[in-house]
Amino acid sequence: MVNAPGWAAEVRQTATANLDRLPVLTGEEEEWRFTPPADLGLVGDGPADGPAVGAQLAASAGPRSANLTLVDGAPSAPALGEVPAGVIVAELGQALIDHEELVRSRLYSLIGFADRPGALNAAHWEGGTFVYVPRGVELLLPTETLLSATGAHGRVTSRTLVIVDEGAKATVIDRYRSPNLPSPVTVSTATEIIVADGGELEHLSLIEWGAGVRHHARITASAGKDARVRSVVVTLGGDIVRVEATHIAAGPGSDSRALGLCFADDHQHFEHRVIARHEAPQAYSNLLYKGALKDQSHTVFFGNLVVPPGAPGTDAYQTNRNLVLNEGAHADTIPFLEIETAEVKCSHAGAVGRVDDEHLFYLRSRGVPEDAAKRLIVLGFLQEVLEHVHLDEVRRELEEAVARKLS
Amino acid sequence: MADPILQIKGLEVAVDGRTILKGVDLAVPQGEIHALMGPNGSGKSTLAYALAGHPRYEITGGSVIFDGRDLLDMEIDERAKAGFFLAMQYPVEVPGVSVLNFLRTSMNAVRGEEINPRDFMKLFQEKSRLLEFDPSFTDRYLNEGFSGGEKKRHEILQMVMLEPRFAVLDETDSGLDVDALKVVSRGVNSLRGPNLGALIITHYTRILQYIAPDVVHVMFEGRIVRTGGPELADELEAGGYAQYGSPEPAVAPGA
Repeated sequence: MVNAPGWAAEVRQTATANLDRLPVLTGEEEEWRFTPPADLGLVGDGPADGPAVGAQLAASAGPRSANLTLVDGAPSAPALGEVPAGVIVAELGQALIDHEELVRSRLYSLIGFADRPGALNAAHWEGGTFVYVPRGVELLLPTETLLSATGAHGRVTSRTLVIVDEGAKATVIDRYRSPNLPSPVTVSTATEIIVADGGELEHLSLIEWGAGVRHHARITASAGKDARVRSVVVTLGGDIVRVEATHIAAGPGSDSRALGLCFADDHQHFEHRVIARHEAPQAYSNLLYKGALKDQSHTVFFGNLVVPPGAPGTDAYQTNRNLVLNEGAHADTIPFLEIETAEVKCSHAGAVGRVDDEHLFYLRSRGVPEDAAKRLIVLGFLQEVLEHVHLDEVRRELEEAVARKLS
Repeated sequence: MADPILQIKGLEVAVDGRTILKGVDLAVPQGEIHALMGPNGSGKSTLAYALAGHPRYEITGGSVIFDGRDLLDMEIDERAKAGFFLAMQYPVEVPGVSVLNFLRTSMNAVRGEEINPRDFMKLFQEKSRLLEFDPSFTDRYLNEGFSGGEKKRHEILQMVMLEPRFAVLDETDSGLDVDALKVVSRGVNSLRGPNLGALIITHYTRILQYIAPDVVHVMFEGRIVRTGGPELADELEAGGYAQYGSPEPAVAPGA
């Protein structure tokens, strides 16, 4: 961002100053009690740079309108396919210069830099993704960004800004991948999604890191009047991953679906904090996160439905279910409600369970061996979320990734 | 007479520490269909689940030889692979597992080899027609949203696809209207012959009008108390279970 416009440089300076000024996160804070901030590189300088591990990372499985690869978060130009006139898919740093008008008013509008994780991201990001779909335009093929880590940089920082204008439609994939790394790498990502009135967006976050990666991901999506936003967060890889996904019902009649699935094994630690905030009346939100765990892994789900005063007619649901496959794995689920408007329909539920003996018996009584039966049951359990992934090749790929974890 | 496909001797079974079966003796020669009748609580379903290996049913005594092998020593899935099948009274719903995926996995497991997908679909369509099983159910999840009758049809559909050597039908007739009962019976009868032994567990005589039993056993308080020919079913139809001390009739209400 050498030639970044003045305002962007100022943000960076302010964010850097905030890092010095803001109190250090200790892990004693209520919202940090499950995942130590130090483990995510939010305290001190984070891990040192290490040796780079070369690995060919598979390209996206299906046809894309644009592909962008950010190695260790460094900027690079996207490979563009056929995109309708007016659609922009660009590296974010470049977009600061080339599309200043569009970027300036929205960047940092949903994820700011007043708190430590936000300031850290704003102060450090180099490369990122900018997607803009103009009014009424439908981008048929998805865009996909691959953020990779090689180990050469101990800290990887990236940012995504997606703007879907009025009545426009798009699918955006953010994929996070690395080989297994011998030394730890901390990753910070901030994804701001703005869907204007009547727009439609499907956003996929596919977290598939190898060992050694610790990832703090923030995703905030705002849905305008009658807009439809579906976000699917799939967390399979990385040593420690904390995802903070916030859905803002900014306009009446908006429809937000927050879907998540995670499968933790070995000593993986995944925390998902998912918030639906109803700032407008008559909006719908539905949150469904499902998690499977095995070995010595630990998952945390914190969900919150926030309905401030002035949002009557809110229709909001929140469900988190976890399937623990063995002793030693542990899931925490904390569903929460903050409702300050009357005349709303809200429900929340959280559950942690084991594989149902009756399910196992039924499948085994039909000749399916115990291990295979468990695989079917776990895949079936996660299917409720997977079936919302509309891209066939991505869904199949995820089913295979889950099956690999089960074998 | 050939060796029985199923030979139960002195079988004792407890559920949650309570003894339900108190020494069951029963033999079914291969190729024969036997009915097992008895009032509620006599232990019929306990026998079915114990034979299938349900972990809640604790074997406290006796033996079961299935096709020359010790059935009780076999894992649940091994029993299925050996040709044992239980059509359940209350099949569970398994979320997210599609009917077709389940059936294919089950067939491959029981056969010990991958069935060609085209052959599988052909077989599935043919057997679905036989059982009037709605083909649009294939993408549904296992038993999820199925009516009672659809669940039973689906159980027998699995049976005719897996072609077991021996099947236990646990109250398959309960909750079925006459039309559905005829369809389900047609499925069972399609396998009838020298390669199928079966034990039809029922409270009522109605299903036996469609699947004629070779032998009828009566179970009461955890034991087989009588064994006879098909006429025994007629006798029960007339007199119910009164002679065994139960006021329950053997004719289905409304039948």
